[in-house]
Formats: sequence, C-alpha cells, structure tokens
Amino acid sequence: MKRGQMTTKTILLVEDTPDDAELTVMSLKASGVLNQVVVAEDGQEALDYLFAQGSYAGRNTHDTPAIVLLDIKMPRLDGIEVLQRLRADKRTSVLPVIILTTSTEDIDLARAYESGANAYVRKPVTLAEFQEAVRRLGLFWILTNQAPESPR
Amino acid sequence: MGQEGELHKPAVPGVFAGNTELEITAERQEREIERLKAENVASGNENLSLKEAALADKIVIGELKRAQRQIEFLNRDLHVRNRALEAVNKELEAFAYTVSHDLRSPLRSIHGFGEALRKSAAVKLSPEESNWLQKILDAAARMDRLTEDLLRLSRITRSQLKRETVNLTQVAREVVHELRQINPQRDILFAISDSLQAHADPVLMRVALNNLLENAWKYTGRRPQALVSFGREERDSQSVFCVRDNGAGFDMAYASKLFAPFQRLHSAREFSGSGVGLACVARIIHKHGGRIWADGRAGEGAAFFFTIPDEPTAAEDSELFQ
Repeated sequence: MKRGQMTTKTILLVEDTPDDAELTVMSLKASGVLNQVVVAEDGQEALDYLFAQGSYAGRNTHDTPAIVLLDIKMPRLDGIEVLQRLRADKRTSVLPVIILTTSTEDIDLARAYESGANAYVRKPVTLAEFQEAVRRLGLFWILTNQAPESPR
Repeated sequence: MGQEGELHKPAVPGVFAGNTELEITAERQEREIERLKAENVASGNENLSLKEAALADKIVIGELKRAQRQIEFLNRDLHVRNRALEAVNKELEAFAYTVSHDLRSPLRSIHGFGEALRKSAAVKLSPEESNWLQKILDAAARMDRLTEDLLRLSRITRSQLKRETVNLTQVAREVVHELRQINPQRDILFAISDSLQAHADPVLMRVALNNLLENAWKYTGRRPQALVSFGREERDSQSVFCVRDNGAGFDMAYASKLFAPFQRLHSAREFSGSGVGLACVARIIHKHGGRIWADGRAGEGAAFFFTIPDEPTAAEDSELFQ
C-alpha cells in the first residue's frame, strides 16, 4: 500500500447517535484527517456497506475503508456482533477495526478484544479530550500504521 | 426455568445435616427413654413394656419429621432469597451498563456542541453570556465525573472477591510513591508500619488504601507539616488497621455520613471531590466481612479504623456444621 492511497480511502464510522457522528467527523477534520467519512447508523448498515449488499448492493467491494470506527451499543446489530462477522469473513478478516465507545465496562473491553478488535478507544465527554482522542487515533491509524492488504 | 424439581433439594447440601433441631431431637429421645426407664425401675419392672417402647419411637419419629420439614422450609427460603439476590445483581449490572453507555452520550452532545459554540461565537457573546455558557460546560463535565464515580462504586459491588495474602505495607508504600510523584511540592511525613498483611483481594485492597491515603493527603493540604500514618492498633482488645492524619478532620456529629456515597462534609471550594472515595472503601471492607469506622475532630485530624477478618477455611466451615 502506497502512502498516497491512504487519504483516498474512506473511513467507515459505525455510529447510531447522530450527535456523536457529527462530533467525530468534526474532530477528524480538525485533526487534519481528510479522508471521506462514511457513516453507517447501525451494525446491519455497516455490514451492508462492507459486503455491498442491501441498500449498498452494487458498491465496489474492492474499495475497502482504511479503518472502521465501531460503536458497541447500537440497535439491530451491535458492534461486537459486527466485529465477529467481519473477522469470520475472508474479505474483512484483517480490516483494522477500532472500537470507539462511551463504555469503560470491563465486559465490553474483554468482548471487543476477544472478538478481534485492533484497538479500543473510549469517547471522552469533554470536547477537548474527545478531539485529542480522535486526533491521536487518526494520527496513528490513518497516517502512521501500515495496514495489511485486504484479500481480493 | 425448570426449578420445580430443585425447590425441594437443599440449596446448600449438608448445611442443615448437623442442625441443632436434630440435636434437640436426639436429646429428647434420650431423655424420654431415661424417663421411661426410671418409671419402670420405680414400678419394679426393669424391662420396658412394648407399649412404652412404641410410644418412645413414635415421639422420636414425630420429632424427626418435624425437623425434616423445618429443614425443607429453610432450604426453600434460602433458595428463594438466593434467586431474589441474583435478580437484584442482574438489575444492578444492567443499570450500570446503561449508565456507562447511554447516560453519557447526551452529556457529550451538551459539552461538545457547547464548546463548539463557545469557539465560534466567542466574539459575539457578552461576558455574561460567555459565563452562562461556561456554567453549562462545567456542569456537563461535573456530571460526567459523577457518573464515572457511580460506576466505580458499582464496579466494586459487582466484583468477585479473590483472596490471597496481601502485603499492605508494600501496597501503601507504592500508593504514597505515586502520590508524591503526582504532587512533588507537598511536604508530608508518612509513617507506614512494617509487615502489615491481610488475607484479602489485592486489587480491591489497593483501591481502599489508595482512597484512604489520598484522602489523608488531600485533607492535610493546609498543614505546614503534614503527618500521615498507617499501622495496626489495639481497639476493644482487637487488632485493627488504622490510617491517621493531622489534617482538617471532621465533626463527629456527621460521622454517620462519612461512608455514604455522594455525601460530603466539606464544600467543594474547601476540598475537591465528589464524596465517593470513602463509600468505595466501606464497600470494599464490608465485602471482606470487615468493619470500618472513623474518629475525628474538626481541625484536629482524622483516624480511620478497619478490620479484615480471615476468611473461614473449608475445614473451619465444616467444623461449624458438624
């Protein structure tokens, strides 16, 4: 993967709270992460997007996102179930998935890592801390980290 | 849930097998036989008549049946209580989960967009309006800390006790080392006794000592020469652990409020905090079956006493019920 391609890749943000989605997008922009952010409003929509099915049928699946930012508690399909399905599928088994959630409950942390999360980031309440968390996340996962090539 | 069959099974097998009810029954049986024997001796007939022996048997069987019914009743009662407790625990778990996920999300909206507004509208707002906005932001941040404290407290309640021998002297020294690193300009004399240990949960004991020592650290903030000690003392002919300081102390009239969550004896202006630290300590000590109490005087320092009884071993347990 060449560095130049990194910014052309999308970021898939799976978030059911519109306010949180807006704050995340705002914080990513403020941190200089210019990738296009696609927002899926729940776990099912995230799977539809990634596997080009349902309302995303016909989407080019070769166009995988650089990272998936995944909330845990969501209607229909929660983040952990989404993660397990992504890990079970050859097309997304190595896709970097970062859990971005409000919870600091041990059970959530354990389930996230057991299911194959690459990182777990808590969303702080105050804007300054939130922006700092998102900035570091973008800095590392988009600009620093070398992601594996997803199998075609 | 298919508990019908289980209902009549003892919830704790063997617990009531050596029950005092049965001992009483056995004693009565012996007394009854002794009485009948004495009657027979008095009437010059040393052998029990068949009728009398049958009567004694009948009494014994009746007593045994009654005791059996009592055991069944107690076991059923225990089972029902167990299930009620499980339900309460599950509810607490669900409540904490909701607080952790859902209650904070609106706070982030309030703080996030409030802060965004403050940045973009800064020049348009009057000093008074800026002040109002700041109050909204501060309140959201404060409520976030309160929910975090609430979760800390419930995490202790929900945690499983894993006991081992804990070197409390070492834990206390580590805590003090951390406090000194956070706040190097404070001049505090810590006196920590050697070889303090307890059969307790190491993670929870660390939380407890951290809260107690941090409190002592905080409330001695206005003393030019602060003194904090951690050791063992004799109280009511019992050896108890004790954390003492020469800080702000408290009025004993309010001592009962010390360990209640979110109760504070000092204003936030005087000393910061949400009032959850000592509540956490009390829950940890109670979880170990211990006691905690405090002694103090306003302006003259405080002392916190606690006990950590050793867990009854399996051998002691079975001895209790033999």
